[in-house]
Amino acid sequence: MQIGFKQGSSFLYRLNPLVKRGLAFVLIIFFSLAALEVSLLAGFLVCLLAMLLLARLPLRSIFFSIRRISLLLIIVGLVQGFKGDGFDLLAAFEGIIRILGVFFTAGVYLTISPQSELMYFWEIVFMPLEFFRLPARELALVMVIAVRFLPVMLTEIDRIRMAQIARGARLSGGFFSSAASLMPLMIPTLSQAIVKAEELAEAMEARGYRVSAARTRYHRFRFSFFDLIWVTLAGVIFVLTIVSRFSNFNFWC
Amino acid sequence: MILLDRVCFRYNEKMETSFKLKEVSFSCKKGTINGIVGGNGSGKSTIARLIAGLITPQSGEITVDGFKPNTHSGNCQFLAGIIFQTPDTQIVGTTVAEDLAFGLENLGIAHEEMLVRVEETAKQFGLAHLLDTPVHFLSGGQKQMLCIASVMVMRPAWIIFDEPTSHLDPWARSVFWNIVSGFAHEQNIGILVISQLPEDILHFENIFCFENGGLVFSGQVDELKKESSQLNWLNRPEAWKLEEILEACR
Amino acid sequence: MKEFLQFEDLTISYGGHKVVTSLSGKFVPGKVNLVVGRAGSGKSSLLLTVAGFHKEFSGKIRDENGKFDPSGNFSLAFQNPESLFFNATAGDEVEFALRMRQLPESEIIDRARGWLLRWGLEPDQYYKIHPHELSGGEKRRLALAACTVFLPPLILLDEPLAGLDRRGQTSLATMLAEMAAKHIVVVVTHEPEIFIQNQSRILFLKEGRGDWFDGNEFLALSLKNSDFYPLPGWYERAMTNFTDRADLPEVNATAVAEFLKRAASNANRL
Repeated sequence: MQIGFKQGSSFLYRLNPLVKRGLAFVLIIFFSLAALEVSLLAGFLVCLLAMLLLARLPLRSIFFSIRRISLLLIIVGLVQGFKGDGFDLLAAFEGIIRILGVFFTAGVYLTISPQSELMYFWEIVFMPLEFFRLPARELALVMVIAVRFLPVMLTEIDRIRMAQIARGARLSGGFFSSAASLMPLMIPTLSQAIVKAEELAEAMEARGYRVSAARTRYHRFRFSFFDLIWVTLAGVIFVLTIVSRFSNFNFWC
Repeated sequence: MILLDRVCFRYNEKMETSFKLKEVSFSCKKGTINGIVGGNGSGKSTIARLIAGLITPQSGEITVDGFKPNTHSGNCQFLAGIIFQTPDTQIVGTTVAEDLAFGLENLGIAHEEMLVRVEETAKQFGLAHLLDTPVHFLSGGQKQMLCIASVMVMRPAWIIFDEPTSHLDPWARSVFWNIVSGFAHEQNIGILVISQLPEDILHFENIFCFENGGLVFSGQVDELKKESSQLNWLNRPEAWKLEEILEACR
Repeated sequence: MKEFLQFEDLTISYGGHKVVTSLSGKFVPGKVNLVVGRAGSGKSSLLLTVAGFHKEFSGKIRDENGKFDPSGNFSLAFQNPESLFFNATAGDEVEFALRMRQLPESEIIDRARGWLLRWGLEPDQYYKIHPHELSGGEKRRLALAACTVFLPPLILLDEPLAGLDRRGQTSLATMLAEMAAKHIVVVVTHEPEIFIQNQSRILFLKEGRGDWFDGNEFLALSLKNSDFYPLPGWYERAMTNFTDRADLPEVNATAVAEFLKRAASNANRL
């Protein structure tokens, strides 16, 4: 199972996309920078999990999809553990909690954000470009279509690979495979990508898409009182992170 | 009404021999199922793209309900929608609702109306329970429906189908022809179906045959049937061949 | 040449979801083996499983020597096999599969030329041509020639007729029927009526179940109930009075006309 949007309707889903993104951003900063006791970090992660459970998120599938970073976790644990003299279990644990927190936050964010919200976010990010008369919405659309197109292209590449292997191509030469032996895969993939992109462009144009035209928007995102609470919470976490990291006044331990 | 007056089109303007269409003139009306037939490379897909305004002819004139398709901008009635063969490369949105809304966004439709139209159209095509579903979870049949719905939601005056049947399974084909007949006869939407399968001819009422970039026949399907045994460029439906053989025996 | 490819209690799943359930039966050479069913009924999954690319299955796939080993023993072509071209000439395209099998140079060219001829592409005319200069039907034939030139015992084709005009379809169907004499040819198709002959083997997939029919059984069942399989209307109308016959004609005008003539003359004699 890939990480990606799963349908849902709980309170997390209904957050304003910008708040969602901001919250995810703050949490990632928190897990990577906050200079807190390990027990506090772990406690925070547990609280977070409890809240996500409350929001009825598919936690199992998120865990399942980030399991491939388990090797990374072990390495980080070892590196952190052997940093000082001998092996410090607590330091190893801290490293693991931090990495887990970062990846988990990212996983949850991608699970609760449909494409339209990601696009909205990109539009806001690209907004400054409009001052230079560059098409912000179109750039955002390009990002979204790239994402929309990925599964189509992956299936196509898979089919080409299987059919060429059946013809006798050796594509899994791994370490020793040369560029020449990848030709049977690369040329058809490239030409199919162009063909499919052209088809898509034509289909978009056929449905009235013009770069310069004034478009309206299907999704509307409101900023509610509920969002305000979350913004405040994000602010507190952010301040806490910065203060704990950069002030000498250590009031936690 | 669609009107083509001495339309020429070539992909490479410098090469005199690269003609796709040579001085094509015809007209077709709403209320019947109009069909275009021709083999690979006969120019039939070029016609579809010209009418949908995706390409511009080098010479000659095209009008759809009195407007020129290539200069006709959004913000008013959408002239001609086109539905292509493969669903995967014409679904733009990532969820069903987004894909339905894409065309409306381009037309600059107001938000409130957009919501109403998306919902209505989804209901009409049996997609109402799937509005928030990511498109890659849809079955093949649902994807086909979405492609039609996404054009219908724009309320086009005409719909052009580019070889719609060649990728449908036989069960879906009969459903498809029922939908098309409903559009043409009950909802007053202009229908133009492009096909290269001879069996599809039996579903057409008015027909235009293309061969090497030229129009070689236009008229009622019954007329074509009468002449068909003399037309050696035509891939005749098996049904006609059978009738003819049996006729000869009598 | 293989004598058969047999399934024993084959169940194919995707992520725990069963697509095909306990399928048993066999594909044989002689006639084209057809796989028919609605979109999403597991037809392509079956091909991928046989080819060894899809591993989530239980049950056995056997041939006369025991467990079927797919490696090097099959060819596989999906819809639009033309998209596999990556060489500068039609000849190179066909030679590729032989070259990868390290045959001697002289044999490669001989076999490639012979094979092109077999697929109706005169080698003197086509050998040095760029694959994309060919017409639609020629491209399809070149693609299938390139996929089968190493003479695998098992040939798996997913929708080989899609996108061709009727002339291209019938000529390709004839060539595949010839191929079936020496190979096990399995064709997944929405146009079975172009292939169906009396002894054709048809695997009909529906809601996870697989049922085997010969051509006549399949035609008879479809005639009695067009929900089972919608045959062309003209064939249904012509055959309404003959649904119980064991010698139903192929689905083309000439065959049906002859059948009707025979039926009429028999009726006269009585």
